[in-house]
Amino acid sequence: MNELFLPYLTAGVATPLVVAMMLPSRCEGRGRVTALMAAGFSALCFAVGGGTSGGVEVVDPLIPWLNSGPLTALPLVFYALMTVAVLLMAPKRDADGSFLAGVLILLGGTSLANAAANLGVMTVGWWLTLVPFLAGMFGSRAGMGRAVGFQVVAGVLLTVGVVLLKVSGVDGGLREGGGVALGLLAMATVLRKGVFPLHAGTMQLFERGPLLPAGLLFNGHLGALMVARLELEGLTEAGRMVMDVAGLVALAGALLAAVRAFAERKPRRLLALIAVSQASFILAGLATRNMAGVTGALVHWMVVSAASMGMACVLRAVEVRVADALAPSGPLGLAVRAPRLAVFFLVCGLALIGLPGTLGYCAEDLLFHGALESHPLLGVALPLATALNAVHIMRMYGMLFLGVLPKGVPNVPDVLVRERWALSAFVVFLVACGIVPRLLLATAVPAAETMHAGEEVRSEK
Amino acid sequence: MYSEKLLSVLVAVPGVVVLMLSLSWLFGLTLAERTISRVTKAVYALLIVTAVLLVLSLWRGHVDSVTMLAGHWFTVGDYGFDVVLLADRLSVPFALLTVVLVGIVGAFSVRYLHRDPGFFRFFLLLHLFTLGSLLVFLAGSLDLLVAGWELVGITSVLLVGFFQYRRDPVRNALRVFTTYRVADLCILIAIFVAHHSFGAASWAAMFRGTWPEAENLMHGPGATVLAVLLVLAASGKSSQGPFYGWLPRAMEGPTPSSAVFYGAISVHAGAYLLLRAEPLIRSSMVATVVLVVIGLGTAFLGTLVHRTCADAKTSVAYASQTQLGLIFAEIGFGWTTMALVHIGGHAVLRTLQFLRTPSMLRDYHRLHAASGGNLDATGSHYETMLPVSVQHWLYRFALGRGFYDSVVDRFVAAPVLMVAKLLGVFEPEGDPVPEERVEVEKPVTVEVL
Repeated sequence: MNELFLPYLTAGVATPLVVAMMLPSRCEGRGRVTALMAAGFSALCFAVGGGTSGGVEVVDPLIPWLNSGPLTALPLVFYALMTVAVLLMAPKRDADGSFLAGVLILLGGTSLANAAANLGVMTVGWWLTLVPFLAGMFGSRAGMGRAVGFQVVAGVLLTVGVVLLKVSGVDGGLREGGGVALGLLAMATVLRKGVFPLHAGTMQLFERGPLLPAGLLFNGHLGALMVARLELEGLTEAGRMVMDVAGLVALAGALLAAVRAFAERKPRRLLALIAVSQASFILAGLATRNMAGVTGALVHWMVVSAASMGMACVLRAVEVRVADALAPSGPLGLAVRAPRLAVFFLVCGLALIGLPGTLGYCAEDLLFHGALESHPLLGVALPLATALNAVHIMRMYGMLFLGVLPKGVPNVPDVLVRERWALSAFVVFLVACGIVPRLLLATAVPAAETMHAGEEVRSEK
Repeated sequence: MYSEKLLSVLVAVPGVVVLMLSLSWLFGLTLAERTISRVTKAVYALLIVTAVLLVLSLWRGHVDSVTMLAGHWFTVGDYGFDVVLLADRLSVPFALLTVVLVGIVGAFSVRYLHRDPGFFRFFLLLHLFTLGSLLVFLAGSLDLLVAGWELVGITSVLLVGFFQYRRDPVRNALRVFTTYRVADLCILIAIFVAHHSFGAASWAAMFRGTWPEAENLMHGPGATVLAVLLVLAASGKSSQGPFYGWLPRAMEGPTPSSAVFYGAISVHAGAYLLLRAEPLIRSSMVATVVLVVIGLGTAFLGTLVHRTCADAKTSVAYASQTQLGLIFAEIGFGWTTMALVHIGGHAVLRTLQFLRTPSMLRDYHRLHAASGGNLDATGSHYETMLPVSVQHWLYRFALGRGFYDSVVDRFVAAPVLMVAKLLGVFEPEGDPVPEERVEVEKPVTVEVL
């Protein structure tokens, strides 16, 4: 395996973690700038590391447990950039030193899991992402028992699964992985992603937890990463069956979550259900094991991350302007006062459900073709769930931005300059990559080809 | 080659305008009404000239159709999304009709929406709609058609909710959007059936020859399913049959958008799809019967309800639905040329009617005065032939608009909501939401954020 010229991956992973430890708990604007620089530097390291790798798997020269390949090169850069956007978007009341450190630890943990060369290191990264929530770095944990509990159980299942694979005597390899161990890993994935009906933790995290960090935790998509890695490594027949079941559960879960959302009125819970439903497509796409489905899943990964994070950022921005936004009794009519926030929200939402001209359209087109090729009847669940989610996005948009402006909202500022930068980045990414998707596909196709090639070899055997 | 260039200009120009307007908005530029007006007029003048030149180039070259591969949008493995544009005897009249009527409505809207806070938004959506419509009519495949189809849908919904500070437009926009999404599901599944059963979704692969002499190349149960799905998708866009209820709700939008969407172009997109897929529909008895029943049923219902409407725009909407029903039936009977002529005439007439609705009473009084006060009441001719009890029953039926909303609410919305609530057993009951620290009554300043 090739080696990077400089330890870009180590630098990218370590910088946010080191800066997080150095940040004082009380800091004003300088803390935000420091955190932004750390996350930006991390993104730069991953971009240079991924760029110099030439699309093949490369190992870090300093820490050989870190590597970057076709599957993880883009998510590493993307997640770091998304963290930069979240740091920019975080309202003043949230962005104290503890919050900023928590966000940086989330970045460090997710990057570590993405860059992990083996399941053991990935497990460490997985647990690291939970530290800020367990340590209460984003404020009180009151009312978040189930949310934290679900994540801890997912971590425990992952750890036990990895240990079982290790002690089975195959050096952590997956080809001979037992059904039980893989079952535990699949269970951890389902819990982490909050696939319906095990979505209660994610719902609570979104509803009562800190919205922006919750979005970052969710959009690390470590569950999907786990499945993609397992598929990339190659699975036994039993392992494939386990992953097939997980894929079908995700497919059904996507539809059920979309139906469930009809009974929701609180924007945060509605956003959680939409995100859970759309993110389930990633697992379903990976389980198709065909080129279109897997590529669609990998692109959809980026779409869900950017779009749902963009929506969460706008929602948080609305919440700090109008407290009623937590549980509005009627439409808030904010489009009159904050038209730019409204447009950013709408574009992100429509991209999430695949509006033509956005990246979501390409992702869903590929996903649907892949899903229908593998499961002609069950695959119909995907377009159906998307159709329902589109309705929920319009409901949410109507709830927050349309209707009569309440008397209690005399004057709210529209998007601030720093917010505009962050939200513009989300929108430009979703639209520009939608018009010219080849650049992004160029990074996703090699990973899908590797999975597909393994699948074809198995089919021939 | 010349025709191909014209074809690409026709699609690219509205796309570029949308992109430019969006970027100007993103960078915080505020365009004056006069600038937007000039841009709009220039764009539609250019589009009309291009469309006319395209017609002339086809006519002078004695060419039935021009197909152009504009590029590969994306390709993954064996599956690729090719951007193929097609100009033939079906798509060119629709494209020409689109640019002319949208151009007229655009010019009308400059005055109609003068000083409206949503002036810029309206024109951005209008250009986006033109892009979507031209993609629908000039698409060489179902894949590309659906891209335009969805753009038309979303712009339509956003214009229904144009007056966003009122409650009813918002509620109706959501209802229209929901109906659209359900109907769009049919076209999405149709695409997958086409790919799955026949390996392609381009018109060239589905039909041999040029419209209207095209022959169907798809047969078997897959073809029947595909044909029925396309009929249902077209019904959704044209507010027919099971999707009959949304058109009157869409009248909440500004009058120019009602004219261009629900009188001129958008509602006829469904009929266009049917005309394009007519060889396929003709080969399936099931699809043909479904199409004729939907068309005639909606026409009957539309003409009944139209007579009981109290407001002008809703009345015109139901009248429009009636004509669309007849167009559907004509396509079902295989009278494609007649349907095409009917669509053209209907689109032009409805655009005029919608644009005149704000001054309908004035027009009526003027006509009344011009005729010396002897203007006879119209209608109520055929009804008198029916027994009185049937007349009463039909009146109540029409007054309740076919009880469509009640049926949908009771048999579709309520069960879905019930299931949604039942699925809540997997979640803990939500506690009261924690209070926020900033009080709403106080103005929120930039410093606080």
